[in-house]
Amino acid sequence: MESILKIEHVSKTYTGHRALDDVSMEIPRGSIYGLLGPNGAGKTTLIRVVNHMTIPDCGKVWFEGHEITAEDIYQIGYMPEERGLYKKMKVGEQAVFFARMRGMGRQQAVRKLHEWFDRLGLIDWWDKKVEDLSKGMAQKVQFITTVVHEPKLLIFDEPFSGFDPINANLLKQEILGLRDRGATVIFSTHNMESVEEICDDITLINKSHNILSGSVDEIRRKAGGNTFLVLYSGTNQDFCAAVTGKANLIGQSEGVIGGYTQQKIHIQSDDDVREVIGSLNDKVKLRSFQEIIPSMNDIFIRAVNGTL
Amino acid sequence: MSKIGLIIEREFAERVRKKSFIVSTLLTPLFMIAMMVLPSVMMFKGGSSTKNVVVIDNSPEQFVGRKLVSGKTVSFNLLEGNESISNARMMYKNDYGILVIGQNILDNPQDIQLILNDASSMSVEENIQNQIQSILRTERLKRCDLENMDQILADANVRVNSIQTLKNNDQEDDEKMEKTSTTASWLMGLILGMMLYFILIVYGQQVLQSVIDEKQTRVLDVMVTSCTPFELMMGKILGIAVVAALQIVIWAVLIIGASAFVMPLVMGGTDVEAALAAAQNVPDPEVLSMVGKFTNVSYLAGLFLELLLYIVGGFLFYASMYAAIGSAVDTPQDAAQFNGIIMMPVIVAIMVMMSVMNDPNSDLVFWCSMIPFTSPIVMMARIPFGIPTWQVAVSLVVLFISFFLMVWVAARIFRVGVFMHGKKPTWKDLGAWIKMK
Repeated sequence: MESILKIEHVSKTYTGHRALDDVSMEIPRGSIYGLLGPNGAGKTTLIRVVNHMTIPDCGKVWFEGHEITAEDIYQIGYMPEERGLYKKMKVGEQAVFFARMRGMGRQQAVRKLHEWFDRLGLIDWWDKKVEDLSKGMAQKVQFITTVVHEPKLLIFDEPFSGFDPINANLLKQEILGLRDRGATVIFSTHNMESVEEICDDITLINKSHNILSGSVDEIRRKAGGNTFLVLYSGTNQDFCAAVTGKANLIGQSEGVIGGYTQQKIHIQSDDDVREVIGSLNDKVKLRSFQEIIPSMNDIFIRAVNGTL
Repeated sequence: MSKIGLIIEREFAERVRKKSFIVSTLLTPLFMIAMMVLPSVMMFKGGSSTKNVVVIDNSPEQFVGRKLVSGKTVSFNLLEGNESISNARMMYKNDYGILVIGQNILDNPQDIQLILNDASSMSVEENIQNQIQSILRTERLKRCDLENMDQILADANVRVNSIQTLKNNDQEDDEKMEKTSTTASWLMGLILGMMLYFILIVYGQQVLQSVIDEKQTRVLDVMVTSCTPFELMMGKILGIAVVAALQIVIWAVLIIGASAFVMPLVMGGTDVEAALAAAQNVPDPEVLSMVGKFTNVSYLAGLFLELLLYIVGGFLFYASMYAAIGSAVDTPQDAAQFNGIIMMPVIVAIMVMMSVMNDPNSDLVFWCSMIPFTSPIVMMARIPFGIPTWQVAVSLVVLFISFFLMVWVAARIFRVGVFMHGKKPTWKDLGAWIKMK
């Protein structure tokens, strides 16, 4: 797939601290791309490099096939982690101001913003001052000002922080909607649940290095490594006999649930999966057979600890 | 609309809608009018209350005490006989003070004491000193024992109250020379200079505050991904400049209006000249000319034009410095050190402005009215004295060129500074940012 943004060998050192070390990645057009990593890993620095807010020591950023320019940056929708709105300004007026700063006409901005405010339940707050809004509402306003001019590329830094589950879900749906309408979304987070739910691809940065890149499904499957959980009733001997040669037992049986024994197994080859199911079906009474796919949270922790 | 235009519009709207803008816009001219009217009113009313001084005169026949004349400032109460000082101190606690004149005062004029029950007052001391000096001088002259002494003394008592100053303005007709007044010019210059000082500092600080606020609330991060740092900086400076301009225009209208209509109303009804002549201790008739100047609408309008030019140039010059500093630091506390450096030329300008009265054309004053760091304040203080047009023109050209240079330097600091967080930069850092490609 064609990439909208390409980051090539970017390094950045602050006095005595290497924030990014030879980081490269490619963000496919029309995807939702998760930029993951523990606090202080260099995610925000990378975003600032993309936005021309920090000049990298070396490396390049490409946007739609050419080296990124200031004009391109004005086309990116960027929502910083530390949200910034003019506190004394009225909400609607402020949103119109930012929309116009991004090149929209006044009429068009007002119309689009009304749509957005309506959809996110903010319309009654149009004439209120920002300082009168709750934190979550201010976040929504910030979100709207980021996306209203329909940029090709959206960068959200921790978009869900400060949201209750209902509003976080609302926002998630909006982000998916933006992707479906053609936008590419990068978001930086350490909220792994949201990554599983909406990210197509990710890059995991740790200690200023890119340590893991790829599509979410692939990464999870790989990390799972053909591990399965089997629920059966029958004798241990029969079970062992059925899988011998094709699979190993992982640990002891994990207890009995409602008369069924639980056992984790590892199958050496993908091709053997069907056979193992077949022979198990013959020897024991099979209740369920399920691949164990680790959560992004597990993968994150294992990757950061170097045990993946 | 261009991005700078949008930023100007936003800054302008945010400030003009604030209550504090309306309050300060309306109160400042009231304050200035009060400053202009109060001295006149004070003159009519005569100022502070009369001070009672008890006099113990030990001189022969109490010749000093008997000749002291009570007036508006001091009223004397001569004690007959030989009251002791300690008694008098007990008895006259409620009076302003006790004046003790020595026995041998004619030969030892230093033998005078003033024991005060209240805070000392220069005008009272001066009054007493002058009176005693005059009495002693007369007495000593009398010792010479000349004929017609009283006649001679009366004849010698002459005072020059004021000189009529005229401006040699190349008019052929001598009658058409313009009357000038040093006091009036100085007062006018002082008001104008202070006004510039106020505008440079108050609005300059607003630019500083505005940039720091934006940096602290992180709105800056959103802004700099929507426009160039230069657009942001100029938008802010010009936005606040428009606010300042609006405020000054409102003041101009209010003050000119007040001068044209309110001042004559305040002064009218009473016969100004007669009232002034009647009032004691009138400084000189120059006050009249000052009042005349303030009621001359076309003179004021011209002055406001020059004022506006210096405000624009001076403000943009200072505001760009403030913007650069605001961009470089994270908190107002960090800005304080740099702020102090900016204030230094302003303080020098104020000090020079005060010396303008002595000689509006001294070398110091001349150069300070050319150097852009001090020229707005010093030149505005000089203008009422009648400065050659070429000097004003040169000073303005220098100011506007410097303003462009300063904006360039500030923009270079700004474009780096806005992205910097954390450590407070040093002067060396700022220098490096200017040079950075």
